[in-house]
Amino acid sequence: MTIAKLFIPAALVTGILVMTACSHIFSPEASITLSHPEALPEGRPVCSDCHGEQQLKGTLKPYTVFNHTQLFIKDHRFSAGRDEKICGVCHATSFCNDCHANELEIKPSLKLGNRPDRELIHRGDFLTRHKIEGKIDPTSCYRCHGRTNNEQCLACHR
Amino acid sequence: MKILARTIVLLVSLLPALALATEAGINSTTLFRFEERSIPGFSKQTVVPATQFIGADLGKIGDENLSFHFYGWGRLDLADRSTAEGDTDGDLTYGYLKYHFPKANGEIKAGRFFTFEGGVAEQIDGVAARADLLPAYAGLALSLFSGAPVKLDRANDNKGDYIVGGRLSYRYASIIELGASAVHEGGMDRNGPNSDLKNYRQTVGGDIWLSPHKMVELNGRTYYNTATSGISEHSYHAIVTPLAGLLLAAEFNQNYLKDFFSASSLRSLFNPDGDDKLTTFGAGITYTIAKPVELTLDYKHFARDTRKDSNRFGGELRLTLADGKVRSGLSYHRVDAGERKASAGLEGFPITSYNEVRGFALYTKDKYDASLDSIVHIFDNKIFNTKTAYEIQASAGYRIMPSLKLSGDLSYGDNPQQSDEVKGLIRLTFNYNYASKGAGK
Repeated sequence: MTIAKLFIPAALVTGILVMTACSHIFSPEASITLSHPEALPEGRPVCSDCHGEQQLKGTLKPYTVFNHTQLFIKDHRFSAGRDEKICGVCHATSFCNDCHANELEIKPSLKLGNRPDRELIHRGDFLTRHKIEGKIDPTSCYRCHGRTNNEQCLACHR
Repeated sequence: MKILARTIVLLVSLLPALALATEAGINSTTLFRFEERSIPGFSKQTVVPATQFIGADLGKIGDENLSFHFYGWGRLDLADRSTAEGDTDGDLTYGYLKYHFPKANGEIKAGRFFTFEGGVAEQIDGVAARADLLPAYAGLALSLFSGAPVKLDRANDNKGDYIVGGRLSYRYASIIELGASAVHEGGMDRNGPNSDLKNYRQTVGGDIWLSPHKMVELNGRTYYNTATSGISEHSYHAIVTPLAGLLLAAEFNQNYLKDFFSASSLRSLFNPDGDDKLTTFGAGITYTIAKPVELTLDYKHFARDTRKDSNRFGGELRLTLADGKVRSGLSYHRVDAGERKASAGLEGFPITSYNEVRGFALYTKDKYDASLDSIVHIFDNKIFNTKTAYEIQASAGYRIMPSLKLSGDLSYGDNPQQSDEVKGLIRLTFNYNYASKGAGK
């Protein structure tokens, strides 16, 4: 078992090193920029306002796909699972960790009480509502609390 | 205290890297909270936790493409305990070195970080790499990660000793992206009741982004749990944009809870021994009536094997004026909650439906900002003899210097759990960037 534990990470690191050494297998295209070159206006960015229907380099998708509409924010997990590097052009990782963390200190709507415009979960008295929401759709709870960030749950659910 | 001490050691260890870095971003948020907790039947509590969040992004450390990123927090309770844990707590959220390749979107990370690849969202201590491959097939990319899942501060957190995974994807310009991903986590603690779960987690699956026409976009993924031999998740969302400013959306999701919850560390809530299935589907419309006015309507239906069907529906109107300086919204939602079916046992275990109304407004001008936010829940049936819950919160802030801002929140609420709930918060934020960068959110 110990051999298996060591083998998998070792194989992965070896694979990465081999990939790095064999740089000819990489695409010759320049990487996407690490940060957006200009400051963005207040509020949710609508990428296509400036970029129109151009293609976002590095993703081979049009900018319209990344417009921060309410629906995009609700389903952002799809984009994050595919294009994490694109998120990083404007967002520091800590932006994600306001809601997604292994151990969250306070609920996001308290930490960011001065940002009522942001889509933050558990607003108001969620302690009462969690008994309802959790029964209707426990999978929505599980995305943040099933394996991580469940110290508060354990106060009652042992 | 151990975690706080580790955090301080790490911060001190940052100093040499800071000296080398030619691009630096430091962000800090200091919170002082004040809460009067008044639960009927219990003595009143006053909690005053002081929390420090601190992060750093140091770029160009010796090499143009090498950077270091760090974020963590620590808390000290100045009065009654704010949680069931001790008077102090803290966590190193992430701390990693990253090398960014100038070509091929290549990247290698090492340290503690979050990985979001395919359906995996995991905090690990380890290494990760990704790159676009093969110039002849410009849309092929590979990402890999490996390490140890970060454990929680308690015994039996059901995290494994090691985790390894990756995603291979293929993109064809503006039309399709197909991804195949797998994750294996070994050495998990499986001491639950009557469980035949294996001591590892292993899922394989695929995801798709498809845009056969510029007005149509489909996102979806399906995952199969090879440890429990069952499909854990189907999740498919479609968006159609027939007109500029009009978005129509539809979604379908299905989870087999035995397979979806198999890696749970909280079995009393997320029971992987049960045999239940949840199917949800819904639709939404977002219409930008005029540039500053956005209307969203949404509906979602929940069908669970062990419960009667539930529905959630409602709408939100958002108004943005004065170049984003004024942002406001008004929303209504109704949740019709289905009771547990008699065939699933425990018939009549109470659950109530409710209505939610929320309104907010935020105003930002030069150095000042202020906001007001109120939310009301009206339950169909009484909970602890109360049918209504509400909270009103006011906030005001002043930017002392371009990088330093002081703000405060005050809220009052009443709900079935607590009467006369008063909460206050003072927030000092410091965001310093020494770089030629543009946006940062």
